[in-house]
Amino acid sequence: VSRRLAAAARTGKQPGRAVVLFPHGGAMLPRLSRAGMPLLLILPSLVLAIAIIIYPFFVILRLSFANVSPFGQLRGFVGWANYANVLTDPIFYGSLLRTLIWTVAVVGGTVLISVPVALVLQQDFYGRSVARTIVMLPWALSLAMAAILWQWSFNADYGMINGMLQSLGLISAPVQWMARAETAFPVEIGIGILVSIPFTSTIFQGGFSSIPTDIYEAARIDGASAMQQFRFLTLPLLQPFISIAVVLNIIHVFNSFPIIWVMTQGGPDNGTHILVTYAYELAFRLGRPGPAAAVSVVMLAIVFVFTGIYLRLRREDV
Amino acid sequence: MRRARLRRSILCWLVLSPLVVLVLFPYLVMLSTALKPTAEVMSYPPHWIPRHWSLTGFSAMWSQADLGTAILNSVAIAGGSTVLALLIAVPAAYAVARMRFRAKPAYRVFLLISQMLAPVLLILGLFRLAAAVPFGDGTLVNTRIGVMVIYAAFQLAFSVWMLAAYFAAIPTDIEEAAWIDGCGRLQAILHVFLPLAVPATAVCAVVAFVAGWNEYVVALTMLRDPGKQTVTLQVVNLVSGRYSVTWNEVMAAALVATLPVAVVFGYVQRYLVRGLTLGAVK
Repeated sequence: VSRRLAAAARTGKQPGRAVVLFPHGGAMLPRLSRAGMPLLLILPSLVLAIAIIIYPFFVILRLSFANVSPFGQLRGFVGWANYANVLTDPIFYGSLLRTLIWTVAVVGGTVLISVPVALVLQQDFYGRSVARTIVMLPWALSLAMAAILWQWSFNADYGMINGMLQSLGLISAPVQWMARAETAFPVEIGIGILVSIPFTSTIFQGGFSSIPTDIYEAARIDGASAMQQFRFLTLPLLQPFISIAVVLNIIHVFNSFPIIWVMTQGGPDNGTHILVTYAYELAFRLGRPGPAAAVSVVMLAIVFVFTGIYLRLRREDV
Repeated sequence: MRRARLRRSILCWLVLSPLVVLVLFPYLVMLSTALKPTAEVMSYPPHWIPRHWSLTGFSAMWSQADLGTAILNSVAIAGGSTVLALLIAVPAAYAVARMRFRAKPAYRVFLLISQMLAPVLLILGLFRLAAAVPFGDGTLVNTRIGVMVIYAAFQLAFSVWMLAAYFAAIPTDIEEAAWIDGCGRLQAILHVFLPLAVPATAVCAVVAFVAGWNEYVVALTMLRDPGKQTVTLQVVNLVSGRYSVTWNEVMAAALVATLPVAVVFGYVQRYLVRGLTLGAVK
């Protein structure tokens, strides 16, 4: 195939000879080339993805069944010991529960806010393109950077949030937002929602613009109110987009790392850990790569389940 | 008619206003803090408009945090990964959009699955992989090239999906006309198809570059040496694990790190909508 490519490249410089190589004007390429060419074109992407994405998965799988020293040496196969080790750790259960709360709250909040936002952005109004750009803005911001900006805004001593709440008379003294998990975790959930809105409302805007407008005219003629149109036309037609947005958001939010890691590192007192920050701490702070690998395998399994659901939802496209 | 539109506009902006405030809030805090002198930042209650305007935050972070080096690192890593990802994704996307082959459905599923595996889930395996590959005096750990290749790999699936969606929209007849005029397939690609594919590829390049610029967990894990760290990592390191933080310097650094990216991304963001609703997403 590569020889043919070279030949084609050579003839490329001498158009007269192309006719000899491809007697049908090039539209009908020789058999081997037709079968091998697409595979040759996708081969580099396969190699890179297998080396950097698939292979590390198997590395983690193997680690999760091995006795690994804090410095990373493998010291034999230990069966399910790493998993058992994790299952006796109370921090694991706290993190598991918090992962569920985090995912449900962030994905639920995001979808609930994004539907009306996308609906508004579909209207024709003054300054719509400005509004669209503002709504999309968090997308451009690194999650780690967003976490830093909000951490400073919620700073107990000099932060703008405390200053504003106090000047409005809503609090009497500065609140130590990040010092207690009961306040830090909800703040992190709020930021999680805010940064997920751009992507989600983009999907919904695509959904709204795929709905033909003439059905609304028909509904109006039949006397349907705006509310009825939304309830019985828009929402059912948007349903497939909502499903896709929910599943994709679950996959992204479930392993969203930077917000929590930058703002609280899972603390105080392990009170804001979710599975992904817990696994990272085990691996790179506490020197326990074996249990960390076990937690990673559990997370990967959850992601595979939701990826399966996603593939089913969009089977017709694939 | 115009009055109705005006009324609708006011209503729309009212509905959006809480979100608009929340989105702009951190940017305003950043701007306000970055322009204050240190003493004013460390005072309570805080105020939005600086009493004394000051650029000391910018000069201090530039010299102390060595932000210039960090920006160069980010440009090299994000830029290198973008080039690598596109060099690999453009041919693959061409094959997906233009050619028929039996493995295509399986390849698309493979891409979707690889898209779902975030770097943070695989970070332990990535670290061990990097530590196992000899490079120079040591391994790929603590090298910019290691981070670059990882970013490129995780950008592939999205790039192939999005490029294939755009490529499929480029009419085939132009290429076919070129074949009939005696062009070889490769020549038709070079002279007819690629020029038409430039806008889509440029959008894809911006997305890949911004993703690399903004990435945190791989940089945090791989880049130990401050002289090799990206600007995103450097800014976070100005805060995390430090007892006293000079917030006006941090905000000045954050401003320098985020503003250029936000502007470029804001510009291409509208071209993204189609690619995203069609394909995989990050």
